[in-house]
Amino acid sequence: MRVIIAEDDAVSRRILETLLSKWGYEVTTTLDGEAAWNALQEPGAPSLAILDIMMPGVDGLELCRRVRLIPASVPPYLILLTANNAVSEIVKGIEAGADDYLTKPYDRDELRVRLQVGARIIELQTKLAERVQQLEAALSHVKQLEGILPICSYCKKIRNDLNSWETVETYVADHSEAEFSHGICPGCYETTVKPQLESLRMSPSAT
Amino acid sequence: MSFERAITTEANVLAFAPVVQTTSDAVDLELLNAFEELQADDGSDLIVELIDLYLADAPQRIIAIREALAASEWVTLKRAAHNLKGSSGNLGVRLVAEICEKLEHLVGPEPMAGAGDLVQLLQSQFDRARETLAAQRRLRCE
Repeated sequence: MRVIIAEDDAVSRRILETLLSKWGYEVTTTLDGEAAWNALQEPGAPSLAILDIMMPGVDGLELCRRVRLIPASVPPYLILLTANNAVSEIVKGIEAGADDYLTKPYDRDELRVRLQVGARIIELQTKLAERVQQLEAALSHVKQLEGILPICSYCKKIRNDLNSWETVETYVADHSEAEFSHGICPGCYETTVKPQLESLRMSPSAT
Repeated sequence: MSFERAITTEANVLAFAPVVQTTSDAVDLELLNAFEELQADDGSDLIVELIDLYLADAPQRIIAIREALAASEWVTLKRAAHNLKGSSGNLGVRLVAEICEKLEHLVGPEPMAGAGDLVQLLQSQFDRARETLAAQRRLRCE
């Protein structure tokens, strides 16, 4: 999973980069909030972000606010790094759009497990987004079948979008996931099949 | 006696200083060497790299702190102190980190009363830490 780090302090940035790489993440580092903002807007941007609150230019809080304005089916999981563990500071961070926070100096194991939580949430959101996409696609088919269909009163053929007439069977098969198994209903058996069978029995070739 | 009052005289600055007895006290070597477990297999030395990054960055931060102090730009001073605190704490340069924290949290009607003494102390503690880190670097590169 890809992670972006926004940290202006070179030592802290290098330590984070080393830790995350060791834990198997694909790491992108940025030196300030503006660079992180640009990276997070790109297609296929990292799903996890570790953002220092205090950075020159766009700080961590502003970055969270901006990221939350981007419409995304899977929004990135944002972890803020703060040197201030005051409740008011943490509330400010979460209100700005962060999913989690860590106070500096952070414990490595704590960082590792919090990243795992983020990765799990991203995976769940990704699966959910895929499911929603599938449902939306299915729903679009259902909508087509829900519309008013011109149907012949006699032969029961349906006029399709190309203005040609096709059997109900063909139309439904083209516009849904339905498949047909063929059989004979009792009514048709009585009115159509049975007379045909009797006619066959009565014909000279049957004797 | 509050910390702010304690640092207003040179005598009291010295009273704060005795926690640092020797150069080796300037850096928590156990914390620094704990980065050993993060070493890559490619032959590079992460600890040397971190020392180099710190020794390249910290003097600039201290210059920024000094300049901010001279210009009475307290926000800039606190921001630079905050940054230096972070990198110092990461590498076990604890006294520098502690002094930066004091600078960062100086408050009051005259917020920077005592700041000059603290900055002076910061420089001397950083000089001690630099010696220790440089020695560590030399040892690792031998």
